[in-house]
Amino acid sequence: MKTFKLENEPKIEPGFKVPDHYFDTFSAKMMQQLEQNEPPVISIFQRKKTLIFSAVAAVLVLALMVPLVVQQQNNKENELETAALENYITYQTNVNQYDLINGLNYEEIENMKTPIALEDETIEEHFSTNTNLENLILE
Amino acid sequence: MQEEQEFINQLLNPKTQNQAFQRLILEYQKPLYNHIRTIVLNHDDTDDVLQNCFIKIFQHLKSFKGDSKLFSWMYRIATNEALTFLKQKARANNISSEALQNKTLDNLEADVFFDGNEMQLKLQRAIALLPEKQQLVFKMKYFQELKYEEISEILGTTVGGLKASYHLAVKKIEAFVSST
Repeated sequence: MKTFKLENEPKIEPGFKVPDHYFDTFSAKMMQQLEQNEPPVISIFQRKKTLIFSAVAAVLVLALMVPLVVQQQNNKENELETAALENYITYQTNVNQYDLINGLNYEEIENMKTPIALEDETIEEHFSTNTNLENLILE
Repeated sequence: MQEEQEFINQLLNPKTQNQAFQRLILEYQKPLYNHIRTIVLNHDDTDDVLQNCFIKIFQHLKSFKGDSKLFSWMYRIATNEALTFLKQKARANNISSEALQNKTLDNLEADVFFDGNEMQLKLQRAIALLPEKQQLVFKMKYFQELKYEEISEILGTTVGGLKASYHLAVKKIEAFVSST
């Protein structure tokens, strides 16, 4: 096998050819293309007009957003009111179950009833372990 | 250096810009074409990349800070444009960059703008097997005959690193050519 040494060989050219007159016409072609690629000049008046349109659009968007923001704010306030009411009922000792029942009508109370299936043994066990039973009966 | 600064000023001045840019194209079209062609291999692709490259140069002239030479800056743009072009082309064809390069090499024999002999084709195949960075260093040093200092400014690699890359590239190419 013959060992090839690059430095011992005459310079190897890449072997590429260029079409005839390519470089004669390239600069003209390039200059023409650059003219087409040049960004259009925007006059100061046109720029002013664009600015005015942008400002009007921004004001319109803001105006349309106002009702949405107000509605969102109201929803937040309603949520707060509900939470405050729940806290009031929970921690206000003057309000007992009778007060709550008085606030409900017959149909609403009927709807709250849920059938509970309990074995006799379970009820007996509950009675025997519940120390507040007498108080509950009295109440 | 002063001459280059004056030329850059002409390129930035709207009154002299067009004339100066035409001069720039005439001066650099051939070296940049050759550089891009060694990367993308095909004439039509090279033509596209070269045009994009000059458009980029024109558009970014204002941001050229003069930290490096104008020549190095333009070569850097050309290199990036060529590599980006190859990656986009590979993605568009749904193949890897290596597969694209092999496909282009396969088409090279039938290319009317390639008149290389068997040895030239073998060299291209050997280069295609190198990692991207080694390919670039080899092509710039061997085909373009750029100095290490110039390549260093273009690729942002130390001269020592470039020498090591070139040495490795030559060894691999010699091994490939010897074995085929």
